[in-house]
Amino acid sequence: MSGKGNIFRILSNAAVFILLEVAALIMLRNNGRMQDIWISRGVRNFQAAVWGGTEAVRDYFSLRKENDRLAEKNHRLENLVREYRQLTGIDIPADSADDISGRFRFTHARAVKVSRNKQHNYLILDKGTDDGIKELSGVITDSGVIGIIDAVGERYSYARSFQNSGMTVSARIGSDGPVGEMIWDGVSSNGAVLMAIPLHIPVQPGDTVYTSGFSSIFPADIPLGITGEATVINGSTYNIQVTLFTDFSSIKYVTIAENNDDEAIKELENRDED
Amino acid sequence: MKTEQNTTLMYILLVIAQILVCNFINVGPYVFISILPAIILCLPPTIPCILLMLLASVSGLAVDWLAEGIIGLNMASILPVAFIRNPLCRLLFGREHMERGENFSIRKNGISKVAAAIVICQALFLAVYIFLDGAGTRPFLFCLSRFAASLLCGCLLSLPVVNMLTSNER
Repeated sequence: MSGKGNIFRILSNAAVFILLEVAALIMLRNNGRMQDIWISRGVRNFQAAVWGGTEAVRDYFSLRKENDRLAEKNHRLENLVREYRQLTGIDIPADSADDISGRFRFTHARAVKVSRNKQHNYLILDKGTDDGIKELSGVITDSGVIGIIDAVGERYSYARSFQNSGMTVSARIGSDGPVGEMIWDGVSSNGAVLMAIPLHIPVQPGDTVYTSGFSSIFPADIPLGITGEATVINGSTYNIQVTLFTDFSSIKYVTIAENNDDEAIKELENRDED
Repeated sequence: MKTEQNTTLMYILLVIAQILVCNFINVGPYVFISILPAIILCLPPTIPCILLMLLASVSGLAVDWLAEGIIGLNMASILPVAFIRNPLCRLLFGREHMERGENFSIRKNGISKVAAAIVICQALFLAVYIFLDGAGTRPFLFCLSRFAASLLCGCLLSLPVVNMLTSNER
């Protein structure tokens, strides 16, 4: 007999065997009290194992949906806290990216694509003009600056990552320390350099670096990282190594910060240029 | 034709004998005597596996119905024996015998091979039977003792049965 015929014969034999065996077990269950209890227990255990297994698989595949839901909820709660602080005037704690000035509008977004291995890295976010996103909005998290929105489509937006050789962020050491420009060090996923810090200001390794708030793109006081080794440049300024809080290799959810006063600031700037 | 009639008659008589054994010979809780595996083993090799399983089911059900009391116990135990009968015979007695449609016999294949076939069939039957009969309530040692004693008695009783059923094969 051919191979296919053999396989078919074996499968049909096995199917009939299973069918008859199940019929026998059903009869046994219906006629023996002990067997009834025993088989029922076995069936229940089997069902529990199967249901537990399928539930675990379903849970695993719904993790992303659940993460999205929790991130959305977290964002709503953050907004509530922000509004509450605006109403009550409570100070911003130094370890959060909240803004109580009312200048910024925050939108929660998910990074659908993140490039990490180039000199000019970028992110694609799942919010666009339909969600009120505008160009030159800041992209932040609670632990740092991620980038700036460069182009906006209807449903997605393109952001230039902080890990981009052409991008700088205005940063300050401590709550009232010197301000300089921070750029990516171009090498590591969490390294940056804070430039042009005057020599006469003493800088200790381990100080926290925050956004200065001088830029109209990012809110003030977002913690960015910790200072490290300082190098004297041309005998006039320090360049300070900064270890960022944000790990760019694991970015998933971000907040888009849009400056409500952006138009007014630009108008003033344009008037000054004229 | 005569041989086929004899086989059918012998098969029916042996099933009846098994029913009588179950009803009237009670050796004790440790020994369960069954010749059903031997009967299934000796059915002609020309019977296809599915028909063999159906015959085994009917025999087991008859014994359950008329002797044992728990319907389905013998049927569930004898089905695996019917399922592996043809591959087992091919393995022990050679593919050629099966393809020619010849049954095995002690004279033709030797007592060791026939005894091995009986032991395997009896062991499989008793393992399922004792497992289902105990229903998880009997201690393992009791089940093991019952299995060993029943296997010994079943094999000793099955040898003459197999010899009788396959005596036409020369």
